Amino acid sequence: MDELSPLRLFIMRSAFVALTVVIVFFHLLPIDTQPVTLFAPQLFPPLVEIDPAEARLRDLLDLGTSRHLVGPDLLIAFGFAWSLRRPEYVPTLLLAVLFLMADLMLQRPPGLWALLALLACENLKGRSRILRDSTFGAEWVAVAILLTGILLANRFVLFIMMVPTPQLRLSLLELGITVLIYPVVVFVTRSVMGVRRAAPGELDSLGGRA
Amino acid sequence: MARDRSQSNEYTGPLRRLLTAVLVIVLAAIFLLWRIDSPRVEQFRAKVTDAVVPNLDWAMAPVTGTVNLLRDFQSYQRLSDQNQELRSELRRMQTWKEAALQLEQENARLLDLNNVRLDPRLTYVTGVVLADSGSPFRQSVLLNVGARDGVVEGWATMDGIGLVGRISGVGENTARVILLTDSSSRIPAVIQPSGQRAIIAGDNSAAPPIDFLENPELVRAGDRVISSGDGGVFPAGQLIGQIAVDPGGRLRVRLAADFERLEFLRVLRHHGTDTVINAPAVVSDAAPSGTAELPAQVEAD
Repeated sequence: MDELSPLRLFIMRSAFVALTVVIVFFHLLPIDTQPVTLFAPQLFPPLVEIDPAEARLRDLLDLGTSRHLVGPDLLIAFGFAWSLRRPEYVPTLLLAVLFLMADLMLQRPPGLWALLALLACENLKGRSRILRDSTFGAEWVAVAILLTGILLANRFVLFIMMVPTPQLRLSLLELGITVLIYPVVVFVTRSVMGVRRAAPGELDSLGGRA
Repeated sequence: MARDRSQSNEYTGPLRRLLTAVLVIVLAAIFLLWRIDSPRVEQFRAKVTDAVVPNLDWAMAPVTGTVNLLRDFQSYQRLSDQNQELRSELRRMQTWKEAALQLEQENARLLDLNNVRLDPRLTYVTGVVLADSGSPFRQSVLLNVGARDGVVEGWATMDGIGLVGRISGVGENTARVILLTDSSSRIPAVIQPSGQRAIIAGDNSAAPPIDFLENPELVRAGDRVISSGDGGVFPAGQLIGQIAVDPGGRLRVRLAADFERLEFLRVLRHHGTDTVINAPAVVSDAAPSGTAELPAQVEAD
């Protein structure tokens, strides 16, 4: 079933590209145009005291859709899950191009996050054989450590280059949510997308098959 | 099998490592280039966005609509209550409108009596919000108007009520608006009625703090904050919000614009304030040094 025919390889690589496009697409939808309210300071005095009419109007116009939390970084989570399971489906060049496109579309400093994410994915690919034999817990820990590592490296490089760093609390929140959501990502990767690890007996690289 | 694998590693290992190294260098070079020559790379980014996002619009519009529909679900439940409230609010507004019209007429009469010449009214071009920044760390939106419509970098944008942000990054068909809440947004403002000048510096929260205020004692909570205009392209006198204080004692602005759902934004056309081009003969005779400066100024403008 998991035979690595060129057609299947092509289909799965296209599937990863499509997945990235969908993730970026949903990021870009103009539904989150306000800052995250979780760390917002309470303002004094309340608007009701200064301007009751304005407060009433705002209350009426309020749609009750304030943005409390940040979403997980699904792109890197899927990148990790796929790199660990089937390195052939996410070749280095493809990952680099996709991460760079994500950097450009999502208003990040172009190149840096892509570079770190790529290195992390390559690291996981190198370890995929070892992690294949261990439990999911080990994989989860490895992913969490890598995510923390690239977050710190990202901040460090931005700091050195004197680029304003993103809010630390928000970054940590995103990191935590991404780590928490990772099992779900793995579950979806395995059961919905059918990206499973090659069994130990299988040929698992392009060269091996040829 | 084991022999097979080691063989394949010999084949792909070094090659793959080389490819990774090359890609890492390329990505690092892109980042360095961005750091050194940010405007050019940002322009490239604007071009990429300009090429990609408008083409996604056919899919984005319905999905956004559906998401908003689902999100509105809880407000449907209190629809009839809301209707009632809105009706009474409208009745109250009608009396206000009457008062405003009378005041406007009176104002016009007084201005006419005093021969006051007002600035010509700002015209605007309205754009639809295509996309947001896509990240919780940046606050910006993409409009479907761009260089094609004559949009210029630095122009102000507002929703119906208050200032929303300024244009930063113009593509052929799209323009990016850095919202007031973004941490890179800096808008010069005047606080009324005290007339204090300050900078509204966004910090990625809903109520941006106020920087560079000369005399905080003169400012009270509830004072109005309006834009003061700068750089010849940003209009003065646009409402930004009201002063409020956070628990740390820092002054912040409660923004007037409704950032919860930005759909249509006005981009205010502003072609700069007119400069004096001809030096009057009397002045140039009296002060020759002044004329030497003037042509240089005109050129600079």
